[in-house]
Amino acid sequence: MVTEAAPEFETQDLLINVGPQHPSTHGVFRMVLEVDGEVVKGLVPYIGYLHRGAEKLCENNDFRQGVGYMDRTEHLAAHNAELSYVMAVEALAELEVPARAQWIRMILCELNRLSSHFMFFGAFGIDVGVFGTPFIYAWRERETLIDLFEEISGDRMMYAYFRAGGLAWEVPANFKERVREVLKSSRQGVKDFDGLLTENEIFIARTKNVGSISAADAIEIGMSGSSLRASGVDMDIRKTEPYLFYDQVEFDVPLGKNGDVFDRYYVRLQEMEQSMRIIEQCLERLEDGPIMPEKMPRMLRLPEGQEVYIRTEAPRGEYGVYLVSKGGNKPWRLKVRSACLSNLQALKQMSIGQYVADAIIILGSIDIVLSEVDR
Amino acid sequence: MSDGIFGIENTWLDALIRVQLIVGLMTVVVMGLIYIERKVLARFQQRLGPTRTGPAGLLQSLADALKLVGKEDLRPRNADPWTFELAPYLVFVPVFLGFVVVPFVAGWQVRVVELGLIYFVAVSSLSIIGWIMAGWGSDNRYAMIGGMRAAAQGISYELPLVLALISVAMVADSYDLNQIVAGQSKYPNIVWQPLVVVVFTIAGLAELNRTPFDIPVGESEVVGGPFVEYSGIRWSFFFLAEYAALFILSLIFAAVFLGGWAWPLGEDWGRGWQLVLVSVKAGSFMFLVFWVRVSVPRLRIDQLMSFSWKILLPLMLVQILINGAVLVYHGSLWILTLAGLVGIAVLVKLVGHAVSQPRSKVVVAAPAEGKAAS
Amino acid sequence: MKGIMKSLAVTMSTFMRRPVTRNYPTVHRELPERDRAFPLLLWDQDIDEPFCTGCHACERACPVECMTVLMKDNPNHEAQGGTSKRRKIVDEFWIDYGRCMRCNICVEVCNFEAIAMNNTWRGHEMSVYDRADLVMDLPQLMSQSKAKEIDEWVAD
Repeated sequence: MVTEAAPEFETQDLLINVGPQHPSTHGVFRMVLEVDGEVVKGLVPYIGYLHRGAEKLCENNDFRQGVGYMDRTEHLAAHNAELSYVMAVEALAELEVPARAQWIRMILCELNRLSSHFMFFGAFGIDVGVFGTPFIYAWRERETLIDLFEEISGDRMMYAYFRAGGLAWEVPANFKERVREVLKSSRQGVKDFDGLLTENEIFIARTKNVGSISAADAIEIGMSGSSLRASGVDMDIRKTEPYLFYDQVEFDVPLGKNGDVFDRYYVRLQEMEQSMRIIEQCLERLEDGPIMPEKMPRMLRLPEGQEVYIRTEAPRGEYGVYLVSKGGNKPWRLKVRSACLSNLQALKQMSIGQYVADAIIILGSIDIVLSEVDR
Repeated sequence: MSDGIFGIENTWLDALIRVQLIVGLMTVVVMGLIYIERKVLARFQQRLGPTRTGPAGLLQSLADALKLVGKEDLRPRNADPWTFELAPYLVFVPVFLGFVVVPFVAGWQVRVVELGLIYFVAVSSLSIIGWIMAGWGSDNRYAMIGGMRAAAQGISYELPLVLALISVAMVADSYDLNQIVAGQSKYPNIVWQPLVVVVFTIAGLAELNRTPFDIPVGESEVVGGPFVEYSGIRWSFFFLAEYAALFILSLIFAAVFLGGWAWPLGEDWGRGWQLVLVSVKAGSFMFLVFWVRVSVPRLRIDQLMSFSWKILLPLMLVQILINGAVLVYHGSLWILTLAGLVGIAVLVKLVGHAVSQPRSKVVVAAPAEGKAAS
Repeated sequence: MKGIMKSLAVTMSTFMRRPVTRNYPTVHRELPERDRAFPLLLWDQDIDEPFCTGCHACERACPVECMTVLMKDNPNHEAQGGTSKRRKIVDEFWIDYGRCMRCNICVEVCNFEAIAMNNTWRGHEMSVYDRADLVMDLPQLMSQSKAKEIDEWVAD
């Protein structure tokens, strides 16, 4: 017989530290989850473990030396990072890039989008719990892609291949055949991933309606890229402000509905198919010609008192470069607008109210690479 | 009662020798299983697996065992000494106890027990206590959480497993494994009880803590599992127990559902061929376990529990009712086959329905503004 | 359940394919011609001296400042009765491989095509126990080209 109300039990929230070293390979990222039983009530992310001062270092390097630093700020999609930088320099110096260089840049950027999304599938598959299979598939496909990059630029990840004005050197003679070979094997890879995960009931049970964010919230936070499109916002810089020759090729922009983890995964899967479509069209339009403008100064100097902000659609979102020059051959200030940092702001909102086991999946689905978050 | 092994008359000595044989066999088998699993998993992923230690990597398990033996035996300072030390034994001894009743071939078992199946089920559920002890005795809250989850999962899936075995025992009209196998000389039990086979596989995967039910062991996503504080040879006991349990479950599966050594060859083929047959059948179950591990993601703990209680358990209860009805009224056993196939269709439908439900969003009070959780 | 069956089918299809891994270091894959490991100096086989004149162009162009170059008068110059047209020749050359970021700029700015990126496996297998061993001096930098063990690629 209870004569009085049962006393309120004092509970304490558990603080779980998801430390800088994870089993899931996202890089050095730390978050502290405040957990009530099984449900996440608060989340505090800690970044900065990978800060190397890339923007400051670029101030001491001229416009050829800086390219090597830019592709280390986003090592998985280095061509896109280099592209923003060289486009900013070209805009200030008013250089005219030859058509052949633009087409090749487009092909390489889309190939890099493929390899970056493959990496996303690999890491995401491990987060969801499949033992290693998506990871191995991802690396199998990435190997073919970076073998191709190695044949072109010499390096597998830090290409330093784009230059202000065009490309550093000509692509090998069998470029078109190699790209077609790589596309064939990437198609098989995309098919494997699609079959492995998309219709798997357990995968759907883990990812549908988990970590959703509405379109209005996503825009307010400043998300961009696939994560934003998964919430239903039709925003793709390749369509709204076309650069290179994106207005001359046909492709669709896949959109999601709920903005949950499954949509972010599925949007990326479809983007890969669209990328392959773009690459095929570019291969047909590729013509011979020079890869650097004829009157290229030996040491590029930019006019004084100019600033420009150039943004491109990197695989992770809007990768922007803000360049201020005060004359001379080195930038006065180089700021990188990092897509992953802005997308990461949404992590707290997406995770509150979800279970702890889902917090890892949500982090994986935003697809961050810490070298871009921290620069 | 079977004849004494090597013709020894003294039953105690005979039993002792049989037990020693089992223990010796198990250690070798487990090491071989670990190697086979690594190779098979690697092949699924288009890579090679161990290749360097010994010819084709055969000595890899031995190298791992030697490495584990050489590690420092750590114990946390505040760990409860008795609980912490005894937990590994309580996890792997019950598995070995289960071997008493498992027949490899006709007559090759430690002891013929008339309630063999019941004994096996009773004894194998003792490991759950070991998991809880490991979790609690580690003086680590994450280990305890992991241990509790493992125990919850183990208990939840024990019920469908037991009911599945009871269904088969009803059809075979005996609990003695030898008799069950002998009764399958015409048709293996999988023909009569297809739904039960599916449920047994799923519940077996959960009992073994294998994907997609390996949340306790794959807890390394967020924190370590219940074995986080164990190192060296103690940790390898848990590992040994897992593979021994896999082995024993495969043998039970081969004996109870696929007909053991009696189908399709029958008694007149020699012991050698019967052993090969049993190995093929048990091996196919193990291959299925590896295949599932490599293909499906992990279930969350609440999804796992609701799957067991809301879907598997009711299906098994209905199956037992149907079994009873058909057997009591001497109906044709083919009705059971039909009912089983219908049951599988119902299971698929229920799973699809459960998956497509929108998840209820847990309402949580917003954290106070300005409160910095550090 | 159907989705799970599909996943199982996909993994079974990869089971049937050949493994894609190689057993390194027993097997080395073939490196493409343009592969870019660390820089090394080239040896002029006709005259039997390095191409490098020590002009400091690469040292100035390096983004991470990993090189140190010293030049001297060439004792083999034609004016002194030798065979070479180079008035100056490299005296000392250090490259810190630990700092080098393999950006290829030193190769691009060199007027004499004296430096090239190592495109052999020896350029990649550079593990040392002491970080100071990564600072390469002139004999180490020239050894591979002197022994004709490299077929370098330099962009036009």
